[in-house]
Amino acid sequence: MKSKLLIAAAGIGLLLGVAPVWAHHAFAAEFDVNKPLVLHGTVTKMEWINPHAWIHLDVKNADGTVTSWMIEAGAPNGLLRRGFNKSSLPPGTEIVVEGWQAKDESTRMNGSNITYPDGKKLFIGSQGTGAPGDKGDKGDK
Amino acid sequence: MNQRIFLWMAMAAVAPLSSVAGQTASQTTPKSSKPAADAKTPWGDPDIQGTWTSDDTWGVPFERPKNFGTRATLTEDELKDRQKRVEQSEEFVGTGGGNTHSPAVAELQAKEKGEAAPAPAAGRFGRGVDSAPVPGHWGEFARRPSHQTSQIVEPADGRLPALTPEAQAKLDAKNKVRREAIPASYTNWSYYDRCITRGVAGSILPVIYGNGLEIVQTPGYVAIRYEMVHDVRIIPTDGRPHLSSNIRSYMGDAVGHWEGKTLVVETTNFLGDRMAVGVNGDGGAPYSEDLKLTERFTRASGNSINYEMIVDDPKTYTATWKVAFPITQEPGYQLFEYACHEGNMAMHNMLSAARMEDKKAAAAAAGQK
Repeated sequence: MKSKLLIAAAGIGLLLGVAPVWAHHAFAAEFDVNKPLVLHGTVTKMEWINPHAWIHLDVKNADGTVTSWMIEAGAPNGLLRRGFNKSSLPPGTEIVVEGWQAKDESTRMNGSNITYPDGKKLFIGSQGTGAPGDKGDKGDK
Repeated sequence: MNQRIFLWMAMAAVAPLSSVAGQTASQTTPKSSKPAADAKTPWGDPDIQGTWTSDDTWGVPFERPKNFGTRATLTEDELKDRQKRVEQSEEFVGTGGGNTHSPAVAELQAKEKGEAAPAPAAGRFGRGVDSAPVPGHWGEFARRPSHQTSQIVEPADGRLPALTPEAQAKLDAKNKVRREAIPASYTNWSYYDRCITRGVAGSILPVIYGNGLEIVQTPGYVAIRYEMVHDVRIIPTDGRPHLSSNIRSYMGDAVGHWEGKTLVVETTNFLGDRMAVGVNGDGGAPYSEDLKLTERFTRASGNSINYEMIVDDPKTYTATWKVAFPITQEPGYQLFEYACHEGNMAMHNMLSAARMEDKKAAAAAAGQK
């Protein structure tokens, strides 16, 4: 987890031991299940767009250069319903994101988990995680 | 016709305002004054207005698993089991679903300790009541366990009737295109993937998110607005006939009438061979232009409507069939904007992924020569 950019080895494809993932579109057509990634970077922007939100992340490479990544999150409507809001990921927030790289090998990925510097985690789209602004009230659902 | 178009525009323009107004009203109205099952509008029609969701049927199989035979409801024990799964889903969502079981983090942590990666924990993914797992961050969940063994309630076995040979051929052709390993064009994807529409049935059958709909009534009209993918239906209830059969659309021509406390909506004039009566308007055989859908909305209580849809398309199915499930209201639940096409990067990403595959295949072929 200390690595600035760690490309985890394949084998985490255990996720894919389950049925293919279909949301608004086919995950497998867009992302490579054999390219799981863990990125450590700084949020530069979050786009609340449909059908899926996108987080922009600057990742510092080992040689000091910076690569800009885009991370696909869940549907904004789903994120809102789970308690995620615009103050959850303000620009400048340092995070670790796990996910899978785009098949076209661009610097885009589908994100699953976010970890904050203090160790708090945010499953992109869930509530009750202790993320900023998250009331975590199950009664709200 | 002009009047109808005008009304459509007027209601589409008012829809966001009305939802804001509805919100304000619900915030200031005491809970005890919830509309009852027999609520009426000021002009005397049954009142089915409000924001509803089909979430509670999420995960109930569309077709009944064969082991249930003609049994349409769960036993008490089966229901308890489903209740448990609903609670697990709630807990899953309420605790951030899967954070502590992240496979990537678990593997990395194990690697740092020089240990083998742990097996994936149960509950790592969000689950519908009975369905295959999906990533929790894309999911919505049932809040109450459904008694139903399937969404299809007729025929008696809860399964789709046999397709006609023509429809089977269309389904085979569609599947071939959908499953192409390297998609050639945007046309390889459904109207839903392309953010165009999910059709009438696809807009209400429960999926992993965006299952909300808002019903607004005026004298002589009922409007239904679906969250995903933004379609609005304006349904006249004044007894007028259908439009000319020359006028066809994705959502068809809907006319309605009241039978007691039930709104009956008959929709025809569909464009054929494009979408299916199934999940997201894409699951199953494409329907023909002769499709007729008959829907019934009956307010069963203050916060639930019994919804039914009879599918009649002799060119596609060898018999009619019916789905039925409740749509319910949830405190605080509201429809959000779903401007789908504007941000639909998936089409670009999927096509660029396919072209990358083309390049790799070409390079591999060149290398072999």
